[in-house]
Amino acid sequence: MIALDRVSKVFSVGPVKVPALTDVSFRVVKGEFVVLHGRSGAGKTTLLKLLYRAEVPSEGEVEVLGEPLAKLNRRGVASLRQNIGVVFQDSKLLPGRTVYENIAFVLRVLGTARGEITARTFDALRAVGLHSRARAYPAQLSQGEGQRAALARAIVRRPSLLIADEPTGNLDDEMGGEILQVIRDIHSGGTTVVFATHQARLARGLRRRVLVLEGGRLVKDEG
Amino acid sequence: MVRFLVGEAFRDLRRAGRVAVSAIVLIMLSLGAVGTFLLLSGNLGKAVAAWRDRLRVVVYLKQEPSTAAASALVRKVEGVPGVGAVRYVSRAEALTALKQTLGKDASAADSLTGNPLPASLEVTPSAEGATPEGARQLVERLSAMPEAEEVAGGVEWVDKLARLQRLVTILGLGFGAVLGVAAILTVTTATTLVLHARRYETEIMRLVGAPELTIRLPLLLQGMVQGMLGAALALVGLAVGFSFAAPKLEPLMTVTLGLSRIDFLPVTQMVAIAAAGTVLGALGGLLARGRREA
Repeated sequence: MIALDRVSKVFSVGPVKVPALTDVSFRVVKGEFVVLHGRSGAGKTTLLKLLYRAEVPSEGEVEVLGEPLAKLNRRGVASLRQNIGVVFQDSKLLPGRTVYENIAFVLRVLGTARGEITARTFDALRAVGLHSRARAYPAQLSQGEGQRAALARAIVRRPSLLIADEPTGNLDDEMGGEILQVIRDIHSGGTTVVFATHQARLARGLRRRVLVLEGGRLVKDEG
Repeated sequence: MVRFLVGEAFRDLRRAGRVAVSAIVLIMLSLGAVGTFLLLSGNLGKAVAAWRDRLRVVVYLKQEPSTAAASALVRKVEGVPGVGAVRYVSRAEALTALKQTLGKDASAADSLTGNPLPASLEVTPSAEGATPEGARQLVERLSAMPEAEEVAGGVEWVDKLARLQRLVTILGLGFGAVLGVAAILTVTTATTLVLHARRYETEIMRLVGAPELTIRLPLLLQGMVQGMLGAALALVGLAVGFSFAAPKLEPLMTVTLGLSRIDFLPVTQMVAIAAAGTVLGALGGLLARGRREA
């Protein structure tokens, strides 16, 4: 499902080279739930961006869903991303559209048939327990509801891989717990999950395989 | 999908707000200028064509030929390149024509001792001979004939009118081009603002793997809509202006240019203006560049 082989990423800030990841290698099999743990600045987000080709490695090879990403052209990247759901610390919901429209928007841009859009959007909303808030605008949602809507948007295409970049980072424990439960439910449906968090207690509490990043290096692979 | 793309294009147009309105106005002005000059040029062209049809070159003869010699001379001149038709005018016919022209003052011609008017050949140039260069060559050929005393009936002023027509066309295209560039830049600005306003949509679209065409097409469409609206307004403005101005200008045009009526733009030119507006808008939409998302 995912394979990183001796991956390094260096950002250039003018003449200064800033290493974000150094010599990272690991594999994730289909249907696995992997927690990526590390402090802020450890390289979690950079690593996740490599998985959906928002960044390219400076060295090494990344393979996702059986595709070596280095060889992908623009169309290949688009095709890859259609099978990956991504959620972030902030929900990134479009403010001028309702919850329903935010989720249906994804299907519409991908050319899904109109009749199918309604059914699949409500399926995704039910999966995150938000179907009663379909007509609400993002500003009318709590942070937890916003993240659940973002999750619904990520899974509405029924992706094989869900990438969650600190989705509970802005939430209190109760709301964070609700989001985690939704992600567990999605995983139990067969979706591979890569879940990034800086919260050590949360990483341990999930009782899953944990990859620990420190200063851009993979220092532990527990589980 | 088409419905989605068109819906997004109109949503983008609303987002661009006043800048989009400015772009539409600029496109209207640029195409309005082009249309006005095309209108002038088209009607001047018609006047030039009408005057060319009426163009005559007169070859005054040294001596009045006999009837047989006149017929032979007519046949000879008909063979000269650039000649369409030839009519022989005898001295007597010339005098009669002069009297007709003088009308009530015709008695003045009676006081002349004898007929001072020469016999002549009235030459109608062919299409080839009616062009400024063709007419010059024709006059040269006719002047070289031994029977010719003098050749009159240049095409200088028709030539001047043709030059004026070209100048009007060039001026129109020049003004139109300058305003057109301004219009493209304004549409580009409007589209860039749209790109900024829809950066979150674009980010989500790229994140979920939307094809590049789906991301760019609404921008192109909203540019084209601005262009089409600008062109439509320009044509409506021209039509309204024409309906007011034409009745007032027609008498003047009849006297000065011999045009019985002024015509509006032909359908082909109206279609061309609409197409030009669409292309201007599309170019503006295509040239816009926002912050490139991953």
